[in-house]
Amino acid sequence: MYAVLAMIAGIALGVILEPTVPVALQPYLPIAVVAALDAVFGGIRARLDGIFDDKQFVISFVSNVLVAALIVYLGDQLGVGGQLSTGVVVVLGVRIFGNVAAIRRHLFKA
Amino acid sequence: MSDGGSGPTRPTRPSGSTGPTRSTRRPETGLLGDPMSAPEQSVDFLTELFRHPLDAGYSDAAAARERIAEPTVRVRRSGFVLRTLTLVATGLLLVVAYQQTVAAEPEAAKTRASLVQDVTARQAETDAQQRQAEALRNEAAKLRDAIVGPNASALDQAEARTGLGAVTGAGAVVTLASGPAPTNPVTGQEQANDQGHIVDFDLQVISNELWRDGAEAISINGQRLIATSTIRAAGSAILVDLAPLSEPYVIQAVGPPTMTGALTKSAVGNFYDYLATTYGVHFSVRSTSDLTLPAAADPGLRYATPLTAPSAPTTRSPATTESPRSTPPEGGP
Repeated sequence: MYAVLAMIAGIALGVILEPTVPVALQPYLPIAVVAALDAVFGGIRARLDGIFDDKQFVISFVSNVLVAALIVYLGDQLGVGGQLSTGVVVVLGVRIFGNVAAIRRHLFKA
Repeated sequence: MSDGGSGPTRPTRPSGSTGPTRSTRRPETGLLGDPMSAPEQSVDFLTELFRHPLDAGYSDAAAARERIAEPTVRVRRSGFVLRTLTLVATGLLLVVAYQQTVAAEPEAAKTRASLVQDVTARQAETDAQQRQAEALRNEAAKLRDAIVGPNASALDQAEARTGLGAVTGAGAVVTLASGPAPTNPVTGQEQANDQGHIVDFDLQVISNELWRDGAEAISINGQRLIATSTIRAAGSAILVDLAPLSEPYVIQAVGPPTMTGALTKSAVGNFYDYLATTYGVHFSVRSTSDLTLPAAADPGLRYATPLTAPSAPTTRSPATTESPRSTPPEGGP
């Protein structure tokens, strides 16, 4: 499957290159990972539903990561960064759980 | 999609509805069943989130695909490239985040370790300098005694009194330490121990009681108390003359043999016995026949300037040399 191969290629790239993240961007990394996972699980679910769309997947990935980072940045500026991060994680976590449940129904019929 | 069956059966798929039919569609708010709300828009956010975790764009795109023709090869290829790039970016993001998390942990520990090392090194340096100062002071005292001659012992007495000289003798040792922190019965975590925590006030009270009971010299954890000594709190630490102390606090006092009994029978002694039984504070008083208390650090002079004996006429200021009396002041009183 190309998707899995592409992701493995990304992981290998990261292991080989070992990119360093600027200190200013480090607080946004965990939230960006959660946002990216949400996009990926959404894509997998759409694939199994038979309605996968490249454009939708790419746009949801990019906008998820950017919006999540923006919210955390705004929260940091307003002094409520921790709470807003929690909010973002809760919303994305609910979506991930819902999509994983749909994937599970597809795969195991349960 | 059960439509209830009472009204006309219309398609309830959002993609199928166009402008005019939208107003006649039945409410879909089945989960909460709020009849007042208009369809879709007012289904509250969390319900929508739980029911449809998938981006609405996917179904919209699928519906759009049904309407238009098959995408061209070029569109499909660019879509494939974009999708692949996104997945590569996801993998990269995962690895970078993982590495960052792993790398951050030893970094923090390293910083802390180096800070601790700094503190230890500086403390050792201070101790060494303290010892050197003490040795030099002893030397100076010996030399001075040799010069002063018969009055030396009186001077030593005065120094011992004021804390500028080390003293030895019998006395009392008071040991004071905070009680154990109580554990929360529900969470099992340690709670702040406010009642059984030793603060600067405790050391002040006990030192004052020891002075009252006849102590001639007191030191707390090796810090000699003199007339200008302070016992203060700085955050959670107790400072005696700017030197931070750590538990247990050992108060050594040289004084008469009655001092130990007087302290234990005093109101202060009773109070700390009560704290010991109630809050687990460690409080013990014992007599000892052999105590050696170090000298206090030289407090230094802030306002006074010593009267130095004038040495030679050449060093006098011009005002003096211009005075009519040109006799050297050595002959004066």
